[in-house]
Amino acid sequence: MLQVSNLQKQYQVGENRYPVLKGVSFTVDEGEFVAVMGPSGSGKTTLLNCISRYIPVDGGQILLDHMDLATFDENSLADVRNRQLGFVFQDFLLLDGLTVRENILLPAIIGGLVNQTVEEQADHLCSIFGIEKIKNKYPAEISGGERQRTAVARALINHPLLILADEPTGNLDSKSSRAVIHSFEQARAALAATIFMVTHDSFAASFCDKVIILQDGVVWKTLVKGEKERIAFQDELLGAIREMGR
Amino acid sequence: MNTFSEVYQTLRRKNRGQYALLCGCLFFSVLLISAYAIIMRSPTVMRVLPEGGDSRKQVMMIFVLSVIGCGVFSLYAAMLFFRQKSRDTGIFFALGAKRSLVERHRMRELVVLSTVSCAAGIVLSIPFAWTVWKLFRLLIVDTAEMKLAVPLQALLIPLAFAMVMIAALIVLGYRSIRRVNIIDIIQESHRSEPIHAVPRWYGPVGILLLGGGALLGYLIPTFTVLVLHWYMPEALSALFYLPALVGMYMILLHTVVNGWRKKRHKYRDLIATSQMKFQGRQTVQNLLVMSLLIAGAYFGSFYMPMLGTGAMIAYDAREIDYLYHFRNDQDIPQEQEVRQLADEYAVTITDWTQATMLRLAVDGTEGIESDNGALGTTYETVYFNPVQSNLFLSASSYTALTGQEVDIPHGTLGAVYTSDGSDNYMFNEPPTQVTNTQSGEKLDITDVRTLTWESLCGHYVMNDEDFAVLREGLPDEWIETLCAFDVEHCDETYDFGKALLYEIIDRSGPEVELYDAWDPVEKQRVESRGEPYFMDPENLEVNGLVGIDYSQRDSSEFRMYWQYMPQFRVIDKADFVQTTGVFLMMFVFIALVCFAAVFIIAFTRSMTIAITGKQLYEDLRHLGASNAYLYRTIRSQIRRVFLTPAIIGTGVIWAFYTMILYFNDNRLSVQEMLGMLLCAGIIVGISALFYALYRMTLRRACAMLEISIDTH
Repeated sequence: MLQVSNLQKQYQVGENRYPVLKGVSFTVDEGEFVAVMGPSGSGKTTLLNCISRYIPVDGGQILLDHMDLATFDENSLADVRNRQLGFVFQDFLLLDGLTVRENILLPAIIGGLVNQTVEEQADHLCSIFGIEKIKNKYPAEISGGERQRTAVARALINHPLLILADEPTGNLDSKSSRAVIHSFEQARAALAATIFMVTHDSFAASFCDKVIILQDGVVWKTLVKGEKERIAFQDELLGAIREMGR
Repeated sequence: MNTFSEVYQTLRRKNRGQYALLCGCLFFSVLLISAYAIIMRSPTVMRVLPEGGDSRKQVMMIFVLSVIGCGVFSLYAAMLFFRQKSRDTGIFFALGAKRSLVERHRMRELVVLSTVSCAAGIVLSIPFAWTVWKLFRLLIVDTAEMKLAVPLQALLIPLAFAMVMIAALIVLGYRSIRRVNIIDIIQESHRSEPIHAVPRWYGPVGILLLGGGALLGYLIPTFTVLVLHWYMPEALSALFYLPALVGMYMILLHTVVNGWRKKRHKYRDLIATSQMKFQGRQTVQNLLVMSLLIAGAYFGSFYMPMLGTGAMIAYDAREIDYLYHFRNDQDIPQEQEVRQLADEYAVTITDWTQATMLRLAVDGTEGIESDNGALGTTYETVYFNPVQSNLFLSASSYTALTGQEVDIPHGTLGAVYTSDGSDNYMFNEPPTQVTNTQSGEKLDITDVRTLTWESLCGHYVMNDEDFAVLREGLPDEWIETLCAFDVEHCDETYDFGKALLYEIIDRSGPEVELYDAWDPVEKQRVESRGEPYFMDPENLEVNGLVGIDYSQRDSSEFRMYWQYMPQFRVIDKADFVQTTGVFLMMFVFIALVCFAAVFIIAFTRSMTIAITGKQLYEDLRHLGASNAYLYRTIRSQIRRVFLTPAIIGTGVIWAFYTMILYFNDNRLSVQEMLGMLLCAGIIVGISALFYALYRMTLRRACAMLEISIDTH
């Protein structure tokens, strides 16, 4: 599904260049729920922004369903973002002037795909994520958890190959965090979604099939959940983080 | 909602405040510029402000400043708009919108909105200018000459301005969505433009440059004219003011980055100072434009108070209530007729003096100019005999008029000055020879002494015997009669004065329908070279001057420039506002435009501060900042936006005006000081209005940041 090889990215501030990703490589299989963890500054969000090509990359390969995104022109990238990728951001990035339902429909509207079926799909997503009662409200009128579930529904409206989520629980309380993680699990179960999530939260990461731990711009370790219980996997994650801190 | 167009429409409806601000700013800037252009280019104003004259230059200079100011506030409103839109735009891109899709909608929206706003500004500027003009005539002064005509070519200026604005808007709009980094677009509204460290010496050096630049800009052209005999091109002379502009920029940089306070309380304003610093470049540019506009606005506002105070004191300083002169070939009312008229109006004439004056030729020099094209104009001083004419009184007539006993020996002259020296420019250099142009009789002058009498400033006095000799053979058109009288209760004799004035004008012949600088000797000299005399009525218009016309006897041009305009204190004082009405209106309007531009810039800047600081204030609240602390912080930021340019702009213009007045005659006269006092009153009034607008802006910013203002 997603294959990232030797991905490199550096930022320039004035005269100085700061390498952030120093040759990151990993794969995400179809239907997998993968998390990326790591300390601040390890390059997690940059990695996500590079995969989505929101920011230019300096080197490496990003293969999404065998398509090399690093070589795509602007229009092709727009198509990929609209049809093949779904996005969930830490601060939701909903349009304040549109209702919850309109926000969910936005990727379909942008892609010119809205029809009766898509509208029904939007209503179905509202029902899956428990936001049907607020679907005509505006983002300013709903809670953070509801906003993030709206964002998840929006990410799914065009049946993307991959959902990219950047700290989706970062701005939420524990109850809302659980609801958002639950919505990812539902998306996976009901819609066979593949999810790639950046998080700080070991609790959220413990629901994933695989956790990639980044340190200083390189993959430090990859942990696979396998048949482990969620709590055991969370312990393993915490242990790895402790080990990284030594 | 099925299409992207519908999304765009919905967002437009939801964010109408953003659109209203952009369209309002565009509309307002075009309206102001257009109305300014209409009034400035109207035939009345063009006639009253002579081409090449200082007033026309000042109006043009402030107009250019206003165009820059209005352009700046429109562009900042556009930038604010794009910042506010950037998050939505970034989300569109993040969700896979093609640039061409967003671009198409953005451009269509911008073109329609900006064209409609600018067109509305131009169209409505006509009734706006008309209303301002009418209100002015209704409330302040109304004269027959103040007719507003809208020259279509005046509308070319706002049209060009609008086109530049629309083009700039499109370029800015295009740039705002052309960036590759989508995250940057989403985070645009939080982007800051920090200023790098500014050394503390910027402040004092800035002040030195500002003062030095103002001195250089003012004195160097004077120096080149007087010493090098070179009128440099205006663009070149303007360059000498550049250090002043640099100085002002340095002062503002220092104010924004370092502040002027000592570091004793460096943490008290920590947030406000650092926030201002991190929006540095635009803040400093905004403050600079605002300072210049405030200076320009005050420059316009000071014009009339200074003129009015000077004129009123000069009228009061006259020793005679009524004074007029006429050529002896004219049939002008004299004592008997004037007394009859006075009886009709129940006016009591307390004394009457009449004197004869001779128009005699004098020798002297004249500057002969050579046009050097782009390098300006140079001149050389050439001696001529005769060069021009002057009016001469006999010593006994002077004594009869003034009561001053004077001793003027044979072959000498007395030159009459004002007591404060304000009209001393009327004497260039003392003549060495006086000539009767008809008989050719000459008198060599060995000495010229100074006499002082306000009402006769510019005249010469000579020994009675010399006067009698030089009068021989002089025809009536070279001889004038001067009548002077006082009345009881002068201030109550307006109707009599007006009737006498009209009688004098109506009985004056076309041969004396002349500009005040018309000189028969100069005319002969110029025409003898085969050149047309520029002061002849038929040549005035070509030289950018207005012809003297008896049918326009109440117009400002006639009252100011007719060669035989009587000095009637009561008329001059009462009709002053009317006589200078067009100037007054023009400069009031200029001030209005500049101050309006300043306020809009301050308002949009303050709103930008509130928008970009929204997250910061939220974070501060989370850190436990009280409402009082948040209020103090935002107040400190907005106060700097309003206060800094107000202090700098006002201070600069005050110092510059004082400098101009001082260097006019190397001193400050009582009139000038009183005028400055009146200007200080204007500053207080406008500052109070500015404070009210600051409070209103602060309220809006607090509302945006959800900071309660009620407890403060």
